[in-house]
Amino acid sequence: MSRRYDVIVVGAGHAGVEAAHAAARVGCTVGLCTLSRETVAHMPCNPAIGGTAKGHLVREIDALGGLMGEAIDATAMQFKLLNRSRGPAVWSPRAQADKRQYGRWMRARLEAEEHIGWIIGRVGAVRLEGGRVVGVELEDGRRYGCGAVVVTTGTFLNGVIHVGDEQRSAGRVGEPASKMLGESLKELGLVWGRLKTGTPPRLDRGSIDFSQFEEEPGDVPPVPFSFLTGLVDREQTPCHIVHTNDRVHELVRENKDRSPLYNGQISGIGPRYCPSLEDKVMRFPERDRHLVFLEPEGVDVPEIYVSGCSMCLPREVQEAVIHAMPGLGDARVLRPGYAVEYDFIQPTELRPTLETRKVAGLFLAGQINGTSGYEEAGGQGLVAGVNAARRVRGDGEWVLGRDEAYLGVMVDDLTARGCLEPYRMFTSRAEHRLLLRIDNADLRLTARGREIGLIGDGRWSEFLARRERFERNVAAVRAARAPGRGGSVELAQVLRRPGVTLAGLAAEGAVEVEAGRDGRAYELSSVETVVKYEGYLRRQTATVARGERDERRRIPQGFPYGKVPGLSREVVERLSGVGPATLGQAGRVPGVTPAAVAVLGSYVRRWGGRGMPAARD
Amino acid sequence: MFAPDDTIVAVATPPGRGGLGVVRLSGPEAQTLATRLLDHREPLRARHATVSRIVDASTPAGNAIDQVVATSFPGPGSYTGDDVVEISAHGSPVLLERIVALACAGGARLAEPGEFTFRAYLNGRLDLVQAEAVADLVDAVTPLQARVAFDQLEGTVTQAIGAIDTDLFDLIARLEASLDFPNEGYHFVEPGTVAQGIGLLRDRVIGLLAGSTRGRLIREGCHVVILGKPNVGKSSVFNALIGSSRAIVTAVAGTTRDLVSDVIDLDGVAVTLVDSAGIRVTNDAVEAEGVARARQALAVASSVVVVLDRSAGLEEEDRSVLEATAGTSRVVALNKIDVASPSAWPREALDLPPETSVVEVSARTGQGLDMLRSAVRAGLVGEEVYRDTPTVGNQRHIGLLERASGALADAQRVTQDGATEEFVLADLQRARTAFEELTGARTPDDVVNHIFERFCIGK
Ligand SMILES: Cc1cc2nc3c(=O)[nH]c(=O)nc-3n(C[C@H](O)[C@H](O)[C@H](O)COP(=O)(O)OP(=O)(O)OC[C@H]3O[C@@H](n4cnc5c(N)ncnc54)[C@H](O)[C@@H]3O)c2cc1C
Ligand SMILES: Nc1nc2c(ncn2[C@@H]2O[C@H](COP(=O)(O)OP(=O)(O)OP(=O)(O)O)[C@@H](O)[C@H]2O)c(=O)[nH]1
Ligand SMILES: [Mg+2]
Repeated sequence: MSRRYDVIVVGAGHAGVEAAHAAARVGCTVGLCTLSRETVAHMPCNPAIGGTAKGHLVREIDALGGLMGEAIDATAMQFKLLNRSRGPAVWSPRAQADKRQYGRWMRARLEAEEHIGWIIGRVGAVRLEGGRVVGVELEDGRRYGCGAVVVTTGTFLNGVIHVGDEQRSAGRVGEPASKMLGESLKELGLVWGRLKTGTPPRLDRGSIDFSQFEEEPGDVPPVPFSFLTGLVDREQTPCHIVHTNDRVHELVRENKDRSPLYNGQISGIGPRYCPSLEDKVMRFPERDRHLVFLEPEGVDVPEIYVSGCSMCLPREVQEAVIHAMPGLGDARVLRPGYAVEYDFIQPTELRPTLETRKVAGLFLAGQINGTSGYEEAGGQGLVAGVNAARRVRGDGEWVLGRDEAYLGVMVDDLTARGCLEPYRMFTSRAEHRLLLRIDNADLRLTARGREIGLIGDGRWSEFLARRERFERNVAAVRAARAPGRGGSVELAQVLRRPGVTLAGLAAEGAVEVEAGRDGRAYELSSVETVVKYEGYLRRQTATVARGERDERRRIPQGFPYGKVPGLSREVVERLSGVGPATLGQAGRVPGVTPAAVAVLGSYVRRWGGRGMPAARD
Repeated sequence: MFAPDDTIVAVATPPGRGGLGVVRLSGPEAQTLATRLLDHREPLRARHATVSRIVDASTPAGNAIDQVVATSFPGPGSYTGDDVVEISAHGSPVLLERIVALACAGGARLAEPGEFTFRAYLNGRLDLVQAEAVADLVDAVTPLQARVAFDQLEGTVTQAIGAIDTDLFDLIARLEASLDFPNEGYHFVEPGTVAQGIGLLRDRVIGLLAGSTRGRLIREGCHVVILGKPNVGKSSVFNALIGSSRAIVTAVAGTTRDLVSDVIDLDGVAVTLVDSAGIRVTNDAVEAEGVARARQALAVASSVVVVLDRSAGLEEEDRSVLEATAGTSRVVALNKIDVASPSAWPREALDLPPETSVVEVSARTGQGLDMLRSAVRAGLVGEEVYRDTPTVGNQRHIGLLERASGALADAQRVTQDGATEEFVLADLQRARTAFEELTGARTPDDVVNHIFERFCIGK
């Protein structure tokens, strides 16, 4: 007989693992369905977690009790804090992962969760009754019942891999695509599109002459991701820097007609921020070289990832390109780079809970929503997992605001604006960026997570101590005075001067601050930032407050925009297509003018409580 | 907020009796309603003047009430963007009200103030600055006011701000890129050029603001008050400037008691000229009240004309008037030059700062009056009006440009202090928000509402 779970998660990639874990955490039984236990949290591309804005997402996932931060801290080979020369709001941790270790860590963690059951197989369809989800059916005919489904199948929906003129149906290299599931979702009437991404070749470590390269060491001491991680004391593995050259560019130009990207074989839209080597050479002819990083995929595996050289030229051209770079003359290509085209569901189909507007109980998370990147997937997985569980239990929606988290910004961007190209997180997408820092992710979010059951007692008590320490430290700094012209001045004044740091002042004995366990640097950074940049933070907080009225004004689901007089047909179409949850979100839908929002606001106000405007055409 | 799907109607010409009066209909039913009002069975030809008659269908005979010319402007190419019909009738208020009432009986709604223009804004026919220009154009008293408003309607202000905003946006994008892509191995913006770049943007905003005092005077007009001791010829100068004998002139000192004012067009600047009792010490209760009013007028005046009697000697009372007006922009008029003076009047004797103009006039013969006019005008708006820089005169625009300029100044200062991109960007974003609010690209709806409240019905 088929088993029944509260929530079924389809796919155990980066979105799937966080979704399953979060749903289990808040008290549901979870069926986690994956093609194989071997590929849990697999990294098909770059062996790294974090980076600008992505590092913020990982910190936020961690602050909400998610797994990604702990997993990378446990398995990283090298840590680096990006943007260190800038201010605390844009510091972003990044780490090189040992891919295999990372996946194993995740799998072990999920296997230890008693409320998660494993379903090994390929889902072919989501089963509905009366317009709502009742379960899934596998391609082999097995059926499982549930109250909500989270689909996180990444690039597998009708995936096609291209290497030169070779084309294969595949989700990623070596794994067949999911065709039935893709068709089953389209039959539900969900709007979909086609995107493309790519990956570079992998080289054999033993065939590379590393003496030719500049070395990129890790930070000492490393800055970890998780708020639970103490000191990381580990040997770090360096990366290496290479540059492309004229010969490489010539080879690409000579062979451009053999690249599926330039001969019309690929129609899906790729990410502009992560261009293939073909794009770099063809679109930026004025640059005579591009940066390439050689990154190991693991401590004890031979694969070296050639970051910055994603391409889908025929295998022999890829080999020639690689061999044209110094130190890589004899490099053995273990696997060629490839491009993959796949179907995605337009995320404007989704509510801010990541539930589809058309089918109750069906949630989507990760690359299936048009995003790209492990961290974006993980973050959505957490949001979808929590909300799927809450739907089953009859609890309310759980939505993070744009002023609370990058997670909130991402979900709002996706659901209000949709994707025209693969969506990646950037710090510039967060208009309240100065408030959303890595050092205060826990102060922003851990209490939010605790309210809904994501945060266990251990993390919670540690957090409470940290928050009290923070408040005491801020009070101490605010109260302290320093010698100054004509007597003394507030220490805060001194701290606000360019170049002055709290650590420096504390070292001089100007103020006494308590460091956290293992001298965690972010704790002092939180204190320093709220005092040093007080003016900026206050201004951003005021901006948030000004927008709050619109953010709070909810638009009922199914609101008939067509019946609101004065909205142009284009605006009506856009709003109906997106179904914004609030007036604030309506204003962010592309093509919706402030005037239209003003009109809409008056109608939402007027009809909000008492049904809809009367038909009048 | 207005319901923007009704068909609205209003008299578009000013209240009162005139040769012609226009009734304007706008909305989905405008065409249907118009044909029902007219004894014209076919639909009106687009953008053609059609001679017809208004019939009152409620009377059994279907009486015609006026002969009119009707013109149909189908949307979206019309003023409001909706279907519009304009009916030119004879300009009797009673008749026009009747036509409006008939339209309302047929299903139209009486337009709220500013509603036609609001629809044009809703339908994207005008941006916010242009919508405001319509109000200014209709309210214009002087040809220069009309011209400045028309330029604004044509979009010169929007374009000038748009051009600055585009460059600002470019700088923002570069700085953002250097934050989000720190590992690209090259600079999106040359370090060391940022402060200078921001400074150039700020100079452009300041350039727009530089014309704003003048712009405001042109748009809003101003008060100029005539002061001087009794009997120097204040009322005579006033009458000469306005070109009629509004103020009483006698040989008795202390003739003028109350304020007397009239609007004159000083070569494009609308000036409300005020004659007063002047400033002096007096025991007469009525005159004392007059002096108090003169002082109030001085307090709100943009400029003062101090009249001295050139045919007499400079007296202590003249000096105290000069002292009382020292803080205000002023022109000194030496009146009665047609009469021989017993003493010389060297400029030094008046002890004036060098920028104060002194003009010799005779209110009686009219000599020197043109000089006086241009001196007053120059004191208000400077020497020349350039057409190539758009004139910003609206207080809302000035406020937002000042906000932008302040934010750019902050950005420039923190850049020089070595702040990194994210802080500079926080300030630059504030400048950008001000620009967007200005053109209405992003305006909180209360601002929009506020702007549209100032319109009169039918505009
Ligand atoms: C070739 C390639 C290159 C990439 N390049 C980049 C890049 O340059 N930059 C970047 O940021 N990101 C890149 N990515 C994207 C990044 O890998 C993904 O965004 C991220 O892994 C998505 O996570 P996910 O959880 O949504 O899906 P995935 O991690 O892909 O997980 C999907 C899971 O679903 C399972 N599954 C699929 N179909 C079924 C089914 N029918 N039934 C049950 N289980 C199923 C799979 O087994 C898998 O476990 C690339 C991905 C690929 C494949
Ligand atoms: N000759 C000559 N007489 C003038 C001239 N201007 C005014 N007068 C005379 O001066 C006398 C006073 O003129 P008003 O214009 O009433 O003077 P005022 O300053 O308004 O006087 P009060 O209102 O009483 O303060 C009148 O007899 C005018 O005719 C002038 O330019 N030349
Ligand atoms: Mg007088």
